[in-house]
Amino acid sequence: MASDVSPKEIARAGVLVRIPPALRSYTDGQDEVILEASNVAAMLRALDVNFPGIRDRVVDEAGRRRPYVNVFVNEELIGASLPDAKLNPGDVVHILPSVAGG
Amino acid sequence: MARSIKKGSVVVAVGTKKGGFLFHSPDRRKWSVEGPFNAGGSVYHMMLDPRDGRTVYAAAPMGSEPWGPAIYRGRAGQEPKATQAAPKFKEGSDLSVSRVWHIEPGPSNAPDTIYAGVEPAALFRSDDRGDTWQDIDSLNYHPTRKDWQAGGGGLCLHSVLVDPRNPRHLVIGISAVGAFETLDGGRTWTTENRGVRAEFLPNKYPEWGQCVHKLAWDASGDGSLFQQNHSGTYHRGPDGGAWTEVTKGLPSDFGFPIAAHPRQKHTAFVTPLIGAGNRVFPKGQMAVWKTTNRGKSWRRSTKGLPGPGAYVAVLREGMAVDSADPLGVYVGTSTGQLFASRDEGESWKMISDFLPPILSVTAAEAR
Repeated sequence: MASDVSPKEIARAGVLVRIPPALRSYTDGQDEVILEASNVAAMLRALDVNFPGIRDRVVDEAGRRRPYVNVFVNEELIGASLPDAKLNPGDVVHILPSVAGG
Repeated sequence: MARSIKKGSVVVAVGTKKGGFLFHSPDRRKWSVEGPFNAGGSVYHMMLDPRDGRTVYAAAPMGSEPWGPAIYRGRAGQEPKATQAAPKFKEGSDLSVSRVWHIEPGPSNAPDTIYAGVEPAALFRSDDRGDTWQDIDSLNYHPTRKDWQAGGGGLCLHSVLVDPRNPRHLVIGISAVGAFETLDGGRTWTTENRGVRAEFLPNKYPEWGQCVHKLAWDASGDGSLFQQNHSGTYHRGPDGGAWTEVTKGLPSDFGFPIAAHPRQKHTAFVTPLIGAGNRVFPKGQMAVWKTTNRGKSWRRSTKGLPGPGAYVAVLREGMAVDSADPLGVYVGTSTGQLFASRDEGESWKMISDFLPPILSVTAAEAR
């Protein structure tokens, strides 16, 4: 779904996080959220402050990314470095499940 | 309560590999069904809370996708929603909850309290109907934990019994680890496996390491227990002591569920399978076995059950009893058939076929 927010607006406001359908029950149906964060760990904490419980869907209690949940920053897959991956104003983050099957 | 589920109906909650279903009937003759809930995703355990007869709880992954375990809550007949949080280990622990196996209502005088048994084996308690959870340290980080080994079904805590006489008295069961008991509300736990065989270990009677498959209170009301184990069926007498093996009279020492009569003491039901290496009913005949004398003798019931030629199985949470008189007993198979008895297990009727593989069955009265 295309964002209604222009890249310039995102850059001014912070990081745009695309929320997958399965997690929109946490965001009252919002499919994207803009927040300020300098890395992915901070982004997840900020998300959780606004939408309690959502962080636990992406990482487990030890902070490890859940298997088959992927985080992309500007369409680049963030792997093992997930918590420390840097974010800059204007970045777009996608949280997506891996393809099922195979 | 949704209008479609009448007060006084028996509600049989069925968790399957592809969603949860509520079967309900005011007379236990003609059944209606609601669902599926969480369609497409597994529902590991689901129940109508017998304390209020209205609230449904379910343990299932978040959606059908890999977002981790969740507890769902809702009014019967409506789509349950994920609670605010699922059970999780405390910060700093290296453990991570992968699946909730079992939800157990707390004591009747604490209607907001529920327990959850999870994988990797641990017990959690919620005092707000599943929105926040307490990690039960004394059990979850028990000194023996470092040596716990997962069995074939995973390292799961699947049985949680809360003593109706004393809410501080709990007994829990963990696959390939055994039974633990607390008398002080979970502050301290003792292993309770004396007399229980562990055929797969060099020491057949260790302090712990036995593969308990399911536990149930004996209705005697004195703390007596039934146990179905990987290696035998057992009864434990009032308030502690060693277990007595009561497998004699059954076709095998292997099975998963055990369900006890809620009013008639020393009475329980089991579904023995051929064995660990061939987990189907002996001779292709589905059968439920009943004892009324704490396992001293057993009687086979097959009237209305499929066979010969029925190579089906019943999983750990696949059998339940209601609270009606005469007692209703419900059994779901891993091939998707749901059977009901409304005469204390004497005869059976299939109330649904072609369900997804059945993972759990519970029963309670709607109010």
